[in-house]
Amino acid sequence: MHGSYRFNAMHFMPYVHLPENHKEFKSVWVDFPNKYYDPEKGHDLYQRYLSELVLADQLGYDAVVVNEHHNTAYSMMPTPNLIAAALIPQTKNCKICIWGTPPNFMLPNRLAEEYAVLDVLSKGRIEVAFPLGTGMEYWSNPVNPATAREKFKESLKIILQAWTEDGPTTHYGQYYTYRFLNPWPRPYQRPHPPCYIVGTGSPETIEIAAELGFGYSAVFVTQQRAVELNENLRKRAAHFGHTIRPDQTPIMSFAYVAETQERAEQEYIGHLQRFFEDFTRTTPHFLAPPGYLSVEQLKMRAAMADKLHGAFDFKTVSSSFFIAVGTPEKVANQIGEWSHQMKTGHINAVMHVADMPHWKTVKNLALFAEEVMPRLRSKSHAPMRIAAE
Amino acid sequence: MAKFTREVLTVDGVKTVVHTAGSGEPLVFFHGAGTVDGFDFAEPWADKFRVIVPYHPGFGESGDDPTFTDMHDYVMHYLELFDIMKLDRFNLVGLSLGGYLAAKFASEHGHRIKKLALIAPAGMLDAKHPMMDILAVPGDQVVGLLVSNFEVLKKRLPEKLDLDFIGERYRESATVARLLWEHPGDPKFMRYLHRVKNPTLILWGDEDKIIPVQQAETWRKFIPNADIKVYKGAGHLVHLEKPEAVEAVSKFMS
Repeated sequence: MHGSYRFNAMHFMPYVHLPENHKEFKSVWVDFPNKYYDPEKGHDLYQRYLSELVLADQLGYDAVVVNEHHNTAYSMMPTPNLIAAALIPQTKNCKICIWGTPPNFMLPNRLAEEYAVLDVLSKGRIEVAFPLGTGMEYWSNPVNPATAREKFKESLKIILQAWTEDGPTTHYGQYYTYRFLNPWPRPYQRPHPPCYIVGTGSPETIEIAAELGFGYSAVFVTQQRAVELNENLRKRAAHFGHTIRPDQTPIMSFAYVAETQERAEQEYIGHLQRFFEDFTRTTPHFLAPPGYLSVEQLKMRAAMADKLHGAFDFKTVSSSFFIAVGTPEKVANQIGEWSHQMKTGHINAVMHVADMPHWKTVKNLALFAEEVMPRLRSKSHAPMRIAAE
Repeated sequence: MAKFTREVLTVDGVKTVVHTAGSGEPLVFFHGAGTVDGFDFAEPWADKFRVIVPYHPGFGESGDDPTFTDMHDYVMHYLELFDIMKLDRFNLVGLSLGGYLAAKFASEHGHRIKKLALIAPAGMLDAKHPMMDILAVPGDQVVGLLVSNFEVLKKRLPEKLDLDFIGERYRESATVARLLWEHPGDPKFMRYLHRVKNPTLILWGDEDKIIPVQQAETWRKFIPNADIKVYKGAGHLVHLEKPEAVEAVSKFMS
């Protein structure tokens, strides 16, 4: 069983005004010149994007999701906690998921403090994820990718200690020494906000989630791989004595809803294409800084990248990844199937991509909330009907 | 010319592969941050010396030790290896990153070294003539920067960049990142470099795109009695491009 449904509206908040010559740049990450960022346009985009997430709250989404990336037009959220702080007073009911700040780029006590501040401010509406951070972030931040995983594990230990043990405590580790670990305030939720790990499927990262009993969300992996990763997480977590609940393994997905299938595709596909071709565009070198991946993972991903070469093809992309585009009925059925496959009703849906205009985002958010969510929620307590094809 | 024989040793728990050839006075060669260039260039040395070419941990045929996080770990590794091999005093040649290591070894244990040769050594912080930050350069572009005449390197590369080759280079760059990502140069290394008193030969290609040839003079400020030999038309891997550089090391050590 997949538990009851839960719907998150996720936003990347891209800087959409790419220069005309942007295709000349192999990457819109890391070294994409920041002279192309116009703060006046950036201001308008922040206003707009925040209003979209506020609307999501009003429409009844269970959560809104923000995350962190650096040196890129892909996302204007190098500091997602600031975005979360801006959202708290403007939203009432939704959870605010910061999925999240890579602990390696902040002092662990500082991150524990910031999340606690947000949790207290929002009266316990915060959920956090701990990513290792993409390879690109390690070119943008002064942190060694070759020791990133060890440092990440130590940071997590410190943050959890700060949240679960009465302070002051001490920590003497390889990367950090705390003589008085005693952060004020403590989180509103006891012992701490729900925690997830997000990643792109490295077994080393899944092992960390399994050991801590955290949720895990695989991003930018194929459907088939996501199913395998979830199975593996459950198995490994059991090994450490944890049972992973359905709500702990959100499905990272893309959704677009319109009146007809044709119209949905016509309104959406161009933006999705630009998302994959332009906004995620980067180099293998930036994706995998030295030591960031094991040699086995590097070879596996290099082999996969060879296969993925070629022009954007909507059918291929939408059948490989969790992408639902069409009428409310089609999108609801699609999500129902994923939910069954992935054994979870926790749907984390990206509702805006690339240069999608405001009106489409609003339309998408509203149609999804009013036509898709009720269809699925009405089924959520009944046994899933397995397509008998 | 003598061919190398391969020996597998365990040094402080790390698989360490050592290639040796010839007989006579020992001559140890420390390779650089990549091992694509191979060791056959060193065969002429075996006419006069017992040539000893170890793979550093994290490179080539040797195993990994992820606890190695700075150059000093490699100095300790070699103290252990030389104990195991009962090598008391020897000539030492270091190339690029291996030159950095050789100079560091000499600044700490100079009495173990008879003569020292540094081929386009890394490790020098020279604000006027800085080394290229090789970690920032995509792997497929690095090979083109290593030599002036690409033909000498081309024959050592696989025809198609296969996954195993890419994986092996990635592993070596990860080893280098563990050592140098945060601090590509170490001011403490230069602080004690003046302790190198051994007769020293510094060799450089004047078209070195990775470490500028002007650094040869900077090195001499720290090691005043060093001789410098510059080879015209050669890049970073001067030992591959100019057999006379290999010959010069041999003469200098004799």
